[in-house]
Amino acid sequence: MIAKIANWFDERVGWKVIWEAIFLRKIPKVNWFYTLGSATLFTAVNQAVTGILLTIYYVPTPDHAYDSVQYITTQIPMGWLIRGLHHWGASAMVVLTVLHMLRVILLGAYKYPREVTWFTGVFLLLVVIGFGFTGYLLPWDQKAYWGSTVGTQIAGAAPVIGDWILRVMRGGPDLSAVTLARFFGVHIWVLPASLILLVAIHMYLIIKIGISAVPKKEELA
Amino acid sequence: MNDGKQLDRRSFLGLITWFIGGSIGAGYSIPAIAYIVGPAARKEEDQAWLRLGAASKVELGTPTLFKIKVERQTGWITNEKELSVYVLTENGRDFVAMSNICTHLGCRVRWIASQDQFFCPCHNAAFSKNGEVIDGPPPRPLNQYQVKEEDGQLFVLGG
Ligand code: HEM
Ligand code: FES
Repeated sequence: MIAKIANWFDERVGWKVIWEAIFLRKIPKVNWFYTLGSATLFTAVNQAVTGILLTIYYVPTPDHAYDSVQYITTQIPMGWLIRGLHHWGASAMVVLTVLHMLRVILLGAYKYPREVTWFTGVFLLLVVIGFGFTGYLLPWDQKAYWGSTVGTQIAGAAPVIGDWILRVMRGGPDLSAVTLARFFGVHIWVLPASLILLVAIHMYLIIKIGISAVPKKEELA
Repeated sequence: MNDGKQLDRRSFLGLITWFIGGSIGAGYSIPAIAYIVGPAARKEEDQAWLRLGAASKVELGTPTLFKIKVERQTGWITNEKELSVYVLTENGRDFVAMSNICTHLGCRVRWIASQDQFFCPCHNAAFSKNGEVIDGPPPRPLNQYQVKEEDGQLFVLGG
């Protein structure tokens, strides 16, 4: 029965080829370190799901942000879990991204023909850091406020254009309602859009090129 | 695939993967549903006796409007809600307190003294001074509050 329905759709949609290309592709015999990219992707999905749920109650204005976050964690059923998953997932995602990158470096997987995969990876790392930076301000508590004051101030230390960067980031000379709103906008629209685009290219290349094999000692000689 | 009876390594691992994936999916979906429906599932706050004002203000035989402010907690905000109650008495002792919320689709009705009836502008409904439907789509009479008089003051039970 299920097979019949699956075939009916496949005849019209052709999903089986896509399924096979993604999940049934041939890979060299590799080790567990090669799962770090997939682990990172999993944390990305976790962030997306829990982040979307958080926006159902979160309000990005100075007079409501803190209270709405407290409301989520103390009043809403499972709110503590959803926020906790997003909070700890953020750290896990940074750690996993870096570990994945280390595996690519240490096994030389960035070399020809995978340079473009590497470059999309570099931008992915920037996006992941950007998520952490903008998300940190959103709870609008003391830690968030002063953490972001310091963070934007550091960006302001750049020579010549530093002050200008600082003002653009803050939307003015100080951290304000404008800063909170733009950090929120970047956190939930700009960065997710960039992440989806970059992950799509990254994954396309991985599937198209195939993943690298574990390098052997003899090959170096 | 296999010959039907025996489970080979490949389809076994496939099954495990689906199982783990399904568990993770349920692990997210169930809390997510609780999280989304949470505020809707909350019980209405406790009802309290709200003081409307002096009973002597009520004119005999004419619904008299009382407006009071009640504090309400909505989400993380405490705000004031205005409650409008029409009080009717025929003898100065027995009071009827009616809500001004139309029983059709929730617009606010008002007393039109010249026509001796309540009027709802949304779909032209008319209610008698006791709140009975005279004309229009409302399915029931106006809702009534429990009302009591103490030391010349009127109170209704509400939240
Ligand atoms: C959001 C962050 C990222 C996600 C979701 C992600 C995901 C993945 C996945 C699923 C793979 C398949 C192979 C494996 O898992 O090791 C992969 C491969 C690869 N990634 Fe990433 N990645 C991310 C960030 C990065 C970063 C920061 C770099 C380096 C700057 C990078 C460079 C590469 C390269 C070069 C490959 C090909 C490796 C090979 O063919 O053996 N990725 N990525
Ligand atoms: S809402 Fe009053 S008549 Fe429709």
